[in-house]
Amino acid sequence: MTGFLEIVRAGQAPKGLSARSGQKLENLPDELFIRLDETGTATGYCGHVDLGTGIRTALTQIIAEELDLPFDQVGMVLGDTEKAPNQGATIASETIQVSAVPLRRAAAQARLVLLTLAASRAGIRAETLRTEDGQVLGPEGSNVRFTYGELLVGHELRERLDEAQPVKDPASYKLVGTRVPRVDIPDKATGRAVYVHDVGVPGMLHARVVRPPYGGWDHGPFFGCSLQSVDRDAVARMPGFVDLVVVGDFIAVVAEREEQAEAIAEALPVKWAPLPPVPDLSDLAEALRQNPDTPRVVSEDGDLGAAFTGAAIDLQRSYLWPYQMHGSIGPSCSVADWREGVLTVWSGTQNPHMLRADLALLTNLPEASIEVIRHEAAGCYGRNCADDVSGDAALLALRIGRPVRVQLTRAQEHVWEPKGAAQLMDVRGAADADGKLRGYEFNTRYPSNVSPLLSLVLTGIVPAAPVAVPMGDRTSVPPYDYDARKITVHDMAPIARASWFRGVSAMPNSFAHDCFIDELAVAAGEDPIAYRLKHLPDERAKDLLSAVAERAAWQPRPGPAQPNVQARILRGRGAAYAQYVHGTFPGVPAAWSAWITDVEVDRATGRVSVTRVVAGQDSGMMVNPAGVQHQIEGNVIQSVSRALKEEVPFDATGVVAKEWGGYPILTFPELPKIDVLMVPRQDQPPMGAGESASVPSAAAIANALYDATGVRFYELPFTPERVKARLDEALSPLSLPEMSAPMSALPRPGTQGPASVGWGQRIGRLVKVSGLAGLAAGGAALGALAAGMLPLRAPIAPVSKPDAALFSQAAIARGRQVAAAGDCAACHTAPGGTPMAGGLKLETAFGTIVTTNITPDLKTGIGAWSYPAFARAMREGISRDGKHLYPAFPYTSFAKIDEDDMQALYAYLMSLKPVENVVPSSQLKFPFNQRWLLAGWNTLFASSAPFTPDPTKSASWNRGAYLVEGIGHCSACHTPRNALGAEKLKTAYLDGGEAEGWDAPALSSLSRSPLPWTEQDIYDYLRTGFSSRHGPAAGPMAPVVEGMQHLPDSDVRAIAEYISSFDSRNEEASATRLDEAAAQRLAATAGTSLGARIFSGSCAACHEGDASFMFGNRPSLALNTNLFATKPDNLIRIILDGSTAALPSGGAMPAFGNVLNDKQIAALVAYLRRTFAPDEPAWHDLPNYIAKIRQTAH
Amino acid sequence: MNVAQPLELLVNGQLHTLAVLPTTSLLHVLRNDLRLNGPKYGCGLGECGACTVLIGDRAARACCTPVSQVGVLPVTTLEGLEQDGVLDEVQRAFVQEQAAQCGYCLNGMIMTIRAALNQGCVKSFEDAKQALRFNLCRCGTHVEILRAACLACGVMLDDAS
Repeated sequence: MTGFLEIVRAGQAPKGLSARSGQKLENLPDELFIRLDETGTATGYCGHVDLGTGIRTALTQIIAEELDLPFDQVGMVLGDTEKAPNQGATIASETIQVSAVPLRRAAAQARLVLLTLAASRAGIRAETLRTEDGQVLGPEGSNVRFTYGELLVGHELRERLDEAQPVKDPASYKLVGTRVPRVDIPDKATGRAVYVHDVGVPGMLHARVVRPPYGGWDHGPFFGCSLQSVDRDAVARMPGFVDLVVVGDFIAVVAEREEQAEAIAEALPVKWAPLPPVPDLSDLAEALRQNPDTPRVVSEDGDLGAAFTGAAIDLQRSYLWPYQMHGSIGPSCSVADWREGVLTVWSGTQNPHMLRADLALLTNLPEASIEVIRHEAAGCYGRNCADDVSGDAALLALRIGRPVRVQLTRAQEHVWEPKGAAQLMDVRGAADADGKLRGYEFNTRYPSNVSPLLSLVLTGIVPAAPVAVPMGDRTSVPPYDYDARKITVHDMAPIARASWFRGVSAMPNSFAHDCFIDELAVAAGEDPIAYRLKHLPDERAKDLLSAVAERAAWQPRPGPAQPNVQARILRGRGAAYAQYVHGTFPGVPAAWSAWITDVEVDRATGRVSVTRVVAGQDSGMMVNPAGVQHQIEGNVIQSVSRALKEEVPFDATGVVAKEWGGYPILTFPELPKIDVLMVPRQDQPPMGAGESASVPSAAAIANALYDATGVRFYELPFTPERVKARLDEALSPLSLPEMSAPMSALPRPGTQGPASVGWGQRIGRLVKVSGLAGLAAGGAALGALAAGMLPLRAPIAPVSKPDAALFSQAAIARGRQVAAAGDCAACHTAPGGTPMAGGLKLETAFGTIVTTNITPDLKTGIGAWSYPAFARAMREGISRDGKHLYPAFPYTSFAKIDEDDMQALYAYLMSLKPVENVVPSSQLKFPFNQRWLLAGWNTLFASSAPFTPDPTKSASWNRGAYLVEGIGHCSACHTPRNALGAEKLKTAYLDGGEAEGWDAPALSSLSRSPLPWTEQDIYDYLRTGFSSRHGPAAGPMAPVVEGMQHLPDSDVRAIAEYISSFDSRNEEASATRLDEAAAQRLAATAGTSLGARIFSGSCAACHEGDASFMFGNRPSLALNTNLFATKPDNLIRIILDGSTAALPSGGAMPAFGNVLNDKQIAALVAYLRRTFAPDEPAWHDLPNYIAKIRQTAH
Repeated sequence: MNVAQPLELLVNGQLHTLAVLPTTSLLHVLRNDLRLNGPKYGCGLGECGACTVLIGDRAARACCTPVSQVGVLPVTTLEGLEQDGVLDEVQRAFVQEQAAQCGYCLNGMIMTIRAALNQGCVKSFEDAKQALRFNLCRCGTHVEILRAACLACGVMLDDAS
């Protein structure tokens, strides 16, 4: 045993939020704060954790300072439940201010012990010794010199912490108060840091949870009891499946690999009970007023009644704060392992001890059997899903008996993180004509709670009952000196799932206080800063505000704002002051903060830019001023984002925003200039610095908005729509020269022909055909045609499967190319199935056709087909058994395949590995399920004429024609069909049709593409999957391009030559001009509508502007046919389903169908149309249209 | 194609042979098969940039790049920027400017600036902002990140930032 020195204190009963665990209070283990050993290094232990604020570095500085140890000889253990003291949740900016106090004393005490040891070793009095750089030194001239390490040899010292232990005089600090580089950044910049997301345990499995549809609530009669069924059998055979765990409404799938868990979670059929009505948050203020509350008067002074009587100024105002997201950049993750009676949970929690108590409840294990090992995670700024996911992992590790990693999805983090609560503040205030503050009556409503661990309530272990928690009182008392005041906090149960978020309840309260004082100043005709200074009793507050005003070169502005209402861009400047008071009322004040900010308002769009912030803070003693500065800047940026942009949208199911497009945050180009002023107060106690600079933000911006426009704003966020609506209402309408008129893309080619038919009409056509009248008519026609004709053709006798060895390798190779040209696999492969084994469901207007197995399996494929049977099927649409094939199988095209190619194709198919695969039968509606009717159809529409070359054209053109008209069967999709499903080859060849619910655009001059398709364009598109002048291949064209990779270059060129000959339009615009015009429209409209915001957040990274340093094609939407199409189908389908085709050009796109709802996609699609195809008519009724497409999506 | 196929991937100068579904995201392969944890999962939708790696010398969003699309191009992760224990100039700039709070987005910031520097796209403070316009940071470390970007790209900072 090596020597050591530990400073401990008796285990303390948990306080505050940790107290709810019900942990037994007897026999609490000692809490360790400092340990030094023979190596001469020290380790500090703190129950708080580093949320990315750099607290690890600051705590290290404190210990090194008190111990006179070099900085790099001190380590920190943060938040490990086995090792670190229980100091409650890392909240309220209190790590340095509160939690570090015993740590600092422990370090000072350890130094004293070392001095005593040295004195005893040297035989001199301890008072004559000093410490330096990890050594104890004797008086000048003496030889006394001991390292801390050698002093501890042979000692095992455990000392009780002396709570009155004197610490160093701040005047003597050498390390504390200096800007020390953070200890964690080098590892973070090189990928060495181990975030909780990076924890790997041998044998670890991967899990995904499947959350209920009531997204973002945490109580209600439906909670925990809405699951009706889960179909385990549907996923149990999927690759990597390990287990499905279902408890109450808790569902998780566990797999060997992460992508397998994702796929299984996606595929798992789950039935939930219909969701009963949830609280309506469309009128948030009303919802907050209606939510039952318990009024709590926290402060009452003076005679309020008298104060309001006869006051010259008497104002009543209401201020509304929305629900907001913590918005961690990394969705929460946790790993758990149950081994030898110990449950180990690796977690990114901000409250390890509180979590351990919850886990004990969840698992029915004693707390002593649970260790929570805390790793850094993505910044959380309060409580996100870090605890919830740890509960999920713990539950699964116990069930499965192997280590399990649970990673939440972005959508799950967005929807389920306990939100920063909405808040409503009602103010009545009175002042004398000379500005003296008479009375202030303040009522604040804050619906939050401690959001029970999700797995506890989903499983029903803890009832999902709403609990009111008194946390609405932070900074509820205004800083200004009113003669009389009454402050009432209306404690109330949560509405949506909520928890604390940076500046908890103080930010909204202060928004009200400091907007209100600004109004009083104006009413009194005084300068807002001077007015505040006059009424602030706190000297440090006054010093701070004066310093900030000086730094910002504040010009006094007494009286009402005088905006130039004729100008489009209005500029203004506003101030606010606040002190964040945290903890249970009356609470503990943290750092003082003051803001002066400049804003610009665009009256035409309502867009607000915060252009500059001067943020001043008095933090008392700053352990690491660099760290404090980063916190101030971080708070400024985050709170500007919250004030300008952030508001959680809810609908009848719950949280709507499931990704960043739906919940945008501030981006780099929107960054204000930030000037940080830090008041030097190193002789004063440290004050919490992690949240204070957020608190005055909203009021400062609102006050600046007033200064700019003369209009007051009482509701966050200051979005363009809200600001524009209020300005339009309050000010005389702005007369502007016509805003940049939408620039025209391309004069449209002729609009005659099927391509010009609106989608409504097209749908109408389909409905008519498949409706009763259409069926009757169609049936009658077919019936009449069929009369007197042979309903069935003779079967061709089965053969035993031809031996592939009979075919030459050359024939097989040629056949492979023919198959590639025809892309047989595209239709004859089910999603996720074996190529050519059939089973793909083709939705047609006539019903569902299931493609057949064309591998040479004797029973279920074409193994028993002789060549004549095969050739007959290909050319005439007759199956081997004599039945008619549906013309979805394009035998009308295949009739043009010449004999050599047909034989080669047969040889190739027979050389494939036989796959036994029974496909479901096609489900066609009557009369289309009557196959014999097709005989009549064939008489009308089918031609088995072979291909005839056109002698006036080049050989290459003719080769292209042969491929396109024959095996390539391009017209099957790209030519419109008549009411009976036959291609209109004579009248509308390649004029556009449909494929698997996608619009197959016209390849003729009726093409809607903004630029004509040249031969090179078509070649690029088919060869690589991408044309820079048009865009990527997606939908059903992606597998076609994939299949064509086996085709020789000459054939692809021939196809391009042939097809391009049908597009005779002239080049009337340049790609650059179209892109530039679209970029201007994007810039003019950015952020001004839901669609614009979704585009910026969800699409722009890959589709906006030039970014040559980014990998991928960056398809230009200004050049994309689908934006100009008559129907929005393709645009909607690519947004819903994305594309993962393996094309040479790359170009995968994620699916957004699960993260954007119909309303969001409708807004996006409408915006894309307006922005990229401004001359095209708007698409209508998009939400319903999108809902319909979802129903038919694969 | 729903079957795992052998696939070769050149990452940080090493050739790996893997048997994974071609549709598996590059991010999963890097993190789970190669234990390269520099790139982070942030959104899975290409929106936030936390997963950024270099494919060739350009910045790619690994979360929505199917591994099959990498082809023969070399992949570089944050770990691969460091050569023989010497940090890349972009990493050095980020450490020097202390450009991280939680650091979860840091990988994306460094890799994006590395790619922008490769293409010579950052010639001004404004360019640096534009280069990072599709990378999200929630801690509000933008000021230090831009300082680091400007330092790495050798451009002047805007006055008040």
